[in-house]
Amino acid sequence: MYPIVLLSVLGIVVLFLGFMKSKSVLLPATLLFLVLALASNFIDWNQGKVLYFYEMLAVNNLTLAFNAIVLVSAFMIVAMTRGFQDQEEAQPAEYYGIMLFSLVGAFMIIGYEHLIMLFVGIEILSVSMYILTGSDKSNLRSNEAALKYFLMGAFATGIMLFGIALLYGATGSFNLTDIQSYVSIQGRGVSYILYAGLLLLLIGMLFKVSAAPFHFWTPDVYDGAPTIFTTFMSTIVKTAGFAAIFRLLSHSFTPIYSFWWITLAAITVLTLLVGNIIAVYQNSFKRMLAYSSISHAGYLLIAVTSLSPQTENAILFYSLAYSIATISAFGVLMLVSKKKALEGQVDESYAAFNGLAAQNPLLAFVLAVSMLSLAGIPLTAGFWGKFFVFGSAVERGLVWMLVVAVLMSAVGIYYYFRAIIAAYLKEGDIGKIRIAPFYRIILVVATAMTILFGLAPGIFEKLL
Amino acid sequence: MSASLLVLIPLLPLIGFLINGIGFRRIPRGAVGIIGSLAALGSFAVSVVVLMAFKEAGSTPQVVSLFDWISVGELSIPFSFQIDQLSLLMLMIVTGVGSLIHVYSAGYMKEDEGFGKFFAFLNLFLFFMLLLVMGSNYVIMFIGWEGVGLCSYLLIGFWNKNTDYNNAARKAFIMNRIGDLGFLLGIFTIIGTFGSVEFTEVFRQATGLPVGDPVVVVITLLLFVGATGKSAQIPLFTWLPDAMAGPTPVSALIHAATMVTAGIYMVIRSNVLFTLAPATLEVVAIIGTATALLAASIGLLQNDIKKVLAYSTVSQLGYMFLALGVMAYSASMFHVITHAFFKALLFLGAGSVIHAMSGEQDIRFMGGLRKKLPITFITFLIGTIAIAGIPPFAGFFSKDEILAHAFEHNKVLWVLGLLGSIMTSFYMFRLLFLTFFGSFRGTHEQAHHLHESPTSMTLPLIVLAVFSALGGFMGVPEVLGGTHQLATFMSPLYEGARQVNPAAFAATTLSHSEEYLLMGISVVAALVAALAAYVVYVRRDSVPAPETQERPALQRVIYHKYYIDELYDAVFVKPIRTLSALLFSFGEFFIDLVVNGTGTLVKVLSGQLRRTQTGSTGYYIFAMVVGIVLILFWNLLLR
Amino acid sequence: MMQQTPPIPEIIQAIPLQSYLILSTALFVIGIIGVLTRRNAIVIFMSIELMLNAANLLLIAFSSYKSDASGQVFVFFIMAVAAAEVAVGLAIIVMIYRNTRTIDVGFLNKLKW
Repeated sequence: MYPIVLLSVLGIVVLFLGFMKSKSVLLPATLLFLVLALASNFIDWNQGKVLYFYEMLAVNNLTLAFNAIVLVSAFMIVAMTRGFQDQEEAQPAEYYGIMLFSLVGAFMIIGYEHLIMLFVGIEILSVSMYILTGSDKSNLRSNEAALKYFLMGAFATGIMLFGIALLYGATGSFNLTDIQSYVSIQGRGVSYILYAGLLLLLIGMLFKVSAAPFHFWTPDVYDGAPTIFTTFMSTIVKTAGFAAIFRLLSHSFTPIYSFWWITLAAITVLTLLVGNIIAVYQNSFKRMLAYSSISHAGYLLIAVTSLSPQTENAILFYSLAYSIATISAFGVLMLVSKKKALEGQVDESYAAFNGLAAQNPLLAFVLAVSMLSLAGIPLTAGFWGKFFVFGSAVERGLVWMLVVAVLMSAVGIYYYFRAIIAAYLKEGDIGKIRIAPFYRIILVVATAMTILFGLAPGIFEKLL
Repeated sequence: MSASLLVLIPLLPLIGFLINGIGFRRIPRGAVGIIGSLAALGSFAVSVVVLMAFKEAGSTPQVVSLFDWISVGELSIPFSFQIDQLSLLMLMIVTGVGSLIHVYSAGYMKEDEGFGKFFAFLNLFLFFMLLLVMGSNYVIMFIGWEGVGLCSYLLIGFWNKNTDYNNAARKAFIMNRIGDLGFLLGIFTIIGTFGSVEFTEVFRQATGLPVGDPVVVVITLLLFVGATGKSAQIPLFTWLPDAMAGPTPVSALIHAATMVTAGIYMVIRSNVLFTLAPATLEVVAIIGTATALLAASIGLLQNDIKKVLAYSTVSQLGYMFLALGVMAYSASMFHVITHAFFKALLFLGAGSVIHAMSGEQDIRFMGGLRKKLPITFITFLIGTIAIAGIPPFAGFFSKDEILAHAFEHNKVLWVLGLLGSIMTSFYMFRLLFLTFFGSFRGTHEQAHHLHESPTSMTLPLIVLAVFSALGGFMGVPEVLGGTHQLATFMSPLYEGARQVNPAAFAATTLSHSEEYLLMGISVVAALVAALAAYVVYVRRDSVPAPETQERPALQRVIYHKYYIDELYDAVFVKPIRTLSALLFSFGEFFIDLVVNGTGTLVKVLSGQLRRTQTGSTGYYIFAMVVGIVLILFWNLLLR
Repeated sequence: MMQQTPPIPEIIQAIPLQSYLILSTALFVIGIIGVLTRRNAIVIFMSIELMLNAANLLLIAFSSYKSDASGQVFVFFIMAVAAAEVAVGLAIIVMIYRNTRTIDVGFLNKLKW
């Protein structure tokens, strides 16, 4: 609860800081606020389940861990903005403010106990993202992405709301625990209204985490949005979204698992196929990462679908591994494409990395580790993420799904390794790229975390 | 045994990797080779110490737990090393042969601009390989397994800087991934069945199961799929010959001596499970034999010195699997060891030849090299005799043991195995004669350039030649007055297997005279094949036709008065050649078609599927609505 | 006079719940069809608002049938959030109009594949 209150207030503070002449205070202030929020997050640590806000928000170690992942990701991303110094039109204060507010939305959907919280949280998160997507106002691609995201997002919200209304009609409550007791008393005999409501609500949420066939917005929006905000979307929104879906299904709807799992399994497989296969054809690295994020949604959905005792750990670990790797991949992309942009060409394709290793060994290494992690090669965090996810699928006996997933991860090798090959084996002419010290630290830390969690995933357990 | 000592074994190569990998731009060339080789040698020295300590302590296997690694729900996976006879033998091969190859590389790769990177990768490979053989559970083994695959990928593609896509490397990686899929599924099935991945725990539980338990059959089949990928068996073998695109020391280390034997290691490690699944063993034996024959027959006609050796490796791996299939686990391990010696020797010798020939690999342009490269020639000769199975060199003992076990198990397998060994002898001597005998057929410049390799390259050759010559004496069978020390040493490994299936480990039923007969037949066969090669390639001095030229027409043959040759050709060579070509086309063409076809399919599919992303918002929402309607319709009306 | 007007929940309950369900579903579907058939961003947006209002109507109906106020509270939240969404949405549409002089979504297909 504390980070919610804190960031709501501090977000406004950041907006006011924006009135000051000097913009240089914004970045450190925002980072400081994020650290404060992270510290306050752990006040409730090990308190068991605590309910706040008239029992509308639950806090336990799981939600706190998700909050922590979101906060750490946000910290890294904010640090990578470098105060938006190089963009003249940028409104740093607003961007930082909106980012902080959107985190509040993320916390709400991670720990919601009441569907109002879910709805308001998702809206806070989504509306912030609409704005950030369109923040590059004079860029037509950014405009287009924003409008597409907005129209489709609003449409999905409509679907979700109708689902919530139906759920309310069937169960008479918005409270997850009440819904749970209603469902467990009724069992499979619950009314069709509840089934329809659950499905519509799920569809609305699956849209936010870009599961197929509701993924269409993802590539276009990720591609069009400024890269820094793409990073934000693909990590924070995804982590929070999966926490929310997992919470809904594990908390309230386990008694009717036999009803929803087939639908979810079909969506999972479709997501895996669409994400991985289309990614193969991409020439733009950024767009490839968008499809890759769809495919990772597929892997995470495997864990949700199997809903075994391992699932929560699997989702947690996977989100962390995925977020870190994605952030460092985008981090390198931003540096390289900015360098290219200075030379007068916007290049976000694989070819932009050609010859990266020659003069920028650190960047090439960071890129390679993040690609290996996303591809799930051992001794990176991504491997264990996949291992845990697959393990939970085995526990549920979903071996056929595992086969699809492993085959698709073999396809994944193809497009992830292209970046490594470009960086290490191809000839290219990128000069030395200057990296700000703080930026460098973030990249190094992210890479170190990927390797550390890959060497000893047990550390993560110990942290919990 | 102290844990810190054990940790050093994989740690040293890792340190070597880090030093060379991070500082490969700054460390002077001389130091790079020394650091890399020292890492391997140090690791070897520690392994020897550990082996001594192990023997002193009464040869009791032990698991040294380093730390608790992961625990997920019921499953807990410690990070621990298992030290027993099997892992020690593998340690000796990996670090011993590995060190020699490191030393060799210091000479071979000296001129290469990626010298530092090369050593870094080589050390990294050693690290993963050591993890693979030392790990005490399937997960560590899998990590090593994937890691060596990755290093192999990096090293195969090492020389291909500018090609858009390195097909060989990619093919190797994809085929290995297909195998890994099987392995991974096998591991998950093991977790599901036994609730653990620790070897000791899994095997302890497995001894309680009946022979032919269906779950175990499934597990072993899945594991075997993994083994076929890594150890290049049918149908996943075509990557190995292609992998010869990498530098020669890599072929020697990874694609002959160590990594490709990982599949055999895995099967021997899981011998309890495999013994419980006779059906799987049958499959293993058949696939092994088929691979041995197929690869040997393809080897008959290859003209690239490394390709011949590559097919020979595939074929020898087939023998090892044949041995596993007839439950001759020790014999298989014996062959792994001797094969590591003579195949590493042959590859390094080939490297020395290629080095002298300034990069030429086609044996049609070699010939008469024995005078210019005396050390290489003698060592190569020893390697050839060893692989051909002529006593008393190493290959004789191990191959003969495999064939004897095959004979006991099934006569047909023995006949096929013998056929394979005849072909082996033929193509190996063909290679030897074409390379080192006759007159030089290369260009003038090459002739001028011919020289013996530097000491850092010949020294490993000599050491390996000694082992190839004498290595067989660690397993002299009883019938020849030996005690078969290796089998005695390894025997405690099969305690569990013996418990579940005592009949399989009964003493041999072959009488001494039968054994003598079998040995006699295989030796004579090998000698005859060698002689045939001598007649064709030295006495008649025939050289395989260049690819551009059509096979000689009948008139030409008469003109050349090679009538006898032609007869011989028609009766013996032609059918084999046709068969070989046929098998080649099956092997290379068909399997590659499937693999490449899948790749292309994915690409085509990708090209088509991405068209669903039309860019039009209306279309997107329409697709979503269709999805929603389908989901609702199916869930609410059809169920 | 005042006593003769029954309380609002009763008025609502004069019509069976089924009818509310059908009406709001119909509204919802009309909204979806509007989204699918229109090309003008603002009209699409209005159709989405229609979908939201269908949900609102449904919530009110359920709320009064169950004599539970929380459904009505939810409606307030939806209205408030929808207003925020309108603000952002219109801003985006205006931004696009400035740059391209059109708000026809059919022309927005630079990003694809």
